Amino acid sequence: MTDALASIAADGYAVIPDVLSAAEVDDITARLWAAAEESERRGMPTRIEALDPNAANVRVFNLLDLDEVFLRLIDHPTAAALAAGVLGNEYIVSNFTANIARPGSGSMMIHSDQGIVVPEPWLEPWSINVIWCLSDVRAENGATRFLPGSHRFTTADEVPDDIADRLVAFEAPAGSIVAMEGRVWHTSGANVTADEDRPLLFGYYTKPFVRPQWNHAVALRPEVQATCSPDLRYRLGLDVALNLGRT
Amino acid sequence: MTVDTRVLPAPTTDLDRAERDLAAHGICCVPDVLDAEQVAAIRLELDAAVEADQTSDEDRPSFGLDPDDSNQRVWNLPGRSPTFVELAEHPTALRLLRSVLGWPMLLGNLSGNITGPGGAAGTLHADQIFVPQPWPAEPQGANAAWCIDDFTAANGATCFVPGSHLRNRLPEPGDDTGAVPYEAPAGSLVVFDSRLWHRTGANTTGTETTGDRQRAAVFGWYTRPIYRTQENWFLALDPSVAESASDELLVLLGYRTQGLGLVDGRSPR
Repeated sequence: MTDALASIAADGYAVIPDVLSAAEVDDITARLWAAAEESERRGMPTRIEALDPNAANVRVFNLLDLDEVFLRLIDHPTAAALAAGVLGNEYIVSNFTANIARPGSGSMMIHSDQGIVVPEPWLEPWSINVIWCLSDVRAENGATRFLPGSHRFTTADEVPDDIADRLVAFEAPAGSIVAMEGRVWHTSGANVTADEDRPLLFGYYTKPFVRPQWNHAVALRPEVQATCSPDLRYRLGLDVALNLGRT
Repeated sequence: MTVDTRVLPAPTTDLDRAERDLAAHGICCVPDVLDAEQVAAIRLELDAAVEADQTSDEDRPSFGLDPDDSNQRVWNLPGRSPTFVELAEHPTALRLLRSVLGWPMLLGNLSGNITGPGGAAGTLHADQIFVPQPWPAEPQGANAAWCIDDFTAANGATCFVPGSHLRNRLPEPGDDTGAVPYEAPAGSLVVFDSRLWHRTGANTTGTETTGDRQRAAVFGWYTRPIYRTQENWFLALDPSVAESASDELLVLLGYRTQGLGLVDGRSPR
């Protein structure tokens, strides 16, 4: 973990291999596809036209409400240590989503998660993406493209005009976590394989004063909320007091 | 025209001027936004909320910036009465707040703060205390303070350090030299940007000559939409509030939103 945090500080990202066993990866992948079906059944589409150029990206939202395995992953000790190490112990959960890049899926706009939302200057990370790799991830199957060191850009003016030509693909074996802090400029890669799905889970954590992408207190069913520990209740903002520190 | 930010601006009923004061001084005061009848009605509602809190078994959360228990805080006012919901979306307040924060914005909290005789001064602070420094160039929030009693130097009028918003940082030890009480009659609206240093004034009444004087105010805290609200309105309010809410109120409470605060990928309403 010390190495991972040092790597994030130096390059903006880190790969932590072997967090999940092969059996766990298979189990979670099966549950993810079931969650996608359940999401559609509930009337929550798994395709976002504004984000993706075609239907080959399957996006699953509200993972935490769809299968208890995702509640365990968002709270996984390795994910928690990464979030706390980058954001401090009071971090919260903004969102937990999946993006399955199927063959033929295209690329998004280049962005930093923090730059979209947070005013300049971007001097410290306010968020981190903890990305669970449910398959080997490489350039051909749609690995996320990013610019190492781009977390040091403090304003949009510092982003080079030729950033698209300088992006590199992160490579990681199935079962890894790729951690990417919120200031890293990146985009999803195109999946140019003939028949390989590339499922990734994105656990997105922020500083406690940032408004979460997802309103967990409303989105999670009461029976799901009832299973959350006091610590996870705080992380998800399930109680009345939000931006007043822990109460 | 050069603006002297070493002094606080005089109250004005000219809203264009109030906007300019707010931009230059980080604060403005508009008297007579509420008439005497409205002020009296709000005072009654506030007193009822205080009494409800005092007779309730639930613990009242204390406030870290208060030195003692003489300063009565009343939380979640929009959950107490429609009177306070109306205050949260008062058009004069929203016009001035929008000039600082743009739109959309969020209502972080609407709370009561009543000083009592003998209450000591609060801790000097700026309201965007949670934003890591160095701060962005623009204020990230603003406060709309409603004077429910006359604000006087003796009864604990909020004290501000003129021009401190221009330093764009939190106060540090040794900075607390020039906080002056901002006096205003009941019914006034004071709006100030979240970088301006201020504290609750000492309430020095309670002597034989002064008698006991409280100083009641309602503070509406508003932020840019990327910040978490202090109250979770979805839990704090009766569902009927959202059901009958105006479009503007739905935005202020986070029910109508884009990109953040979503439920099932959509705006909650």
